[in-house]
Amino acid sequence: MHLLMISCTPRMKESSNTDKILDEFKKGYESCGNTTETLYLYKRNEWESIRKKFYENDNILFALPLYVECIPGIMAEFLESLKPKQNRNTKIGFLLQSGFAEASQLRCCESYLETLPSFLGCEYNGTLLKGGMFAVSFMDGKIRRQMVAPFYNMGKYYAQKNYFHKEMVNDFAKPEYFSKKAIFFNTVLSPFNKLFLIMFAKKLGCKGSLHDKPYQSYVKR
Amino acid sequence: MNLIVSVLKKDDLCGKKIIETIQKNVNDVEIIYEEDMHIKGCIGCNRCWLVTPGVCTIKDDYETLLIKFLQSKQVIFITDLKLGFVSYQLKNIIDRLLPLATMHLRFKNGQMRHYPRYKKQYKMGLLYKGNGKQEFLEKWLERVMINLEGTSIGTFHIENEEEILNALIND
Repeated sequence: MHLLMISCTPRMKESSNTDKILDEFKKGYESCGNTTETLYLYKRNEWESIRKKFYENDNILFALPLYVECIPGIMAEFLESLKPKQNRNTKIGFLLQSGFAEASQLRCCESYLETLPSFLGCEYNGTLLKGGMFAVSFMDGKIRRQMVAPFYNMGKYYAQKNYFHKEMVNDFAKPEYFSKKAIFFNTVLSPFNKLFLIMFAKKLGCKGSLHDKPYQSYVKR
Repeated sequence: MNLIVSVLKKDDLCGKKIIETIQKNVNDVEIIYEEDMHIKGCIGCNRCWLVTPGVCTIKDDYETLLIKFLQSKQVIFITDLKLGFVSYQLKNIIDRLLPLATMHLRFKNGQMRHYPRYKKQYKMGLLYKGNGKQEFLEKWLERVMINLEGTSIGTFHIENEEEILNALIND
């Protein structure tokens, strides 16, 4: 089986969390004797050929980061430029990742993705979702490999089942919400997390405070 | 000030009609047409959180909008629906609200949330043209507003003038 994978992040591949996850997913998918091709929406000059590939292929995966509770603007723009397919032989699955860690944060977008393929004259093939992926690109070596490693098995799973079944996805995406205990510890540790972020920002060249209010003078409550 | 941001074309008849109605019934309305502005999509660089906190790295007309969001009592977005969702022009505008939050996280009502950057009671609503699932749009806008610690005025079909005016004037 051949799978066309379309990466829908505006980030370039080097800095993209979605693409690092997708690379691992692809390895798992291909390990079952399948083939894949990956195309990138951030390469805007390739949109014409990506559209062509969309029309030619009938097994497609859209990979995307959560952007303000739904699909990123660049993905919406690309989808609006497509003509719906005429026969419903095309299956579209989704791989949705986010910075927020809980699966519950992704459910609003998931409910949209469930409806999306029908607008394109295609069938819905399920959504694999996973939160807590903000740091993938900032990490290197072993930690990054550990973060993306579970997606290898998901690639294998999709190759075998050709559908992201809800039960499996819910298990993979855990936790749906953090437990009270986890929230408590997180709150206790939050000054350390903040300190870590401040130091990290300094390293990136941040000169001010992460709480700066550059447009404060305009605020009318 | 009450701000209307329309991504419909200026000559769109439905858009014209509802904007005129709002202007007749609500004081101090300012209108911005997306077609007059040059607004790009968020590129996910995180610089507005980590490098130049609060300032977007993309230099286009968005800064004008961001400032107006901070000045407005309420903001009403007008869009057509594409593939059951708001048009990409509006999603680009929403994606770039990120500088209004900070990088820091805490738990709020059991879910992780970013701290808002400014102390401000944001109120935003959505008027849409075309067919879509009201329930989904409503949920989506509510969740967008949670991220700003603001409230949703609601989502309305563009022809439901009475409901729209009630939601706006009562606010």
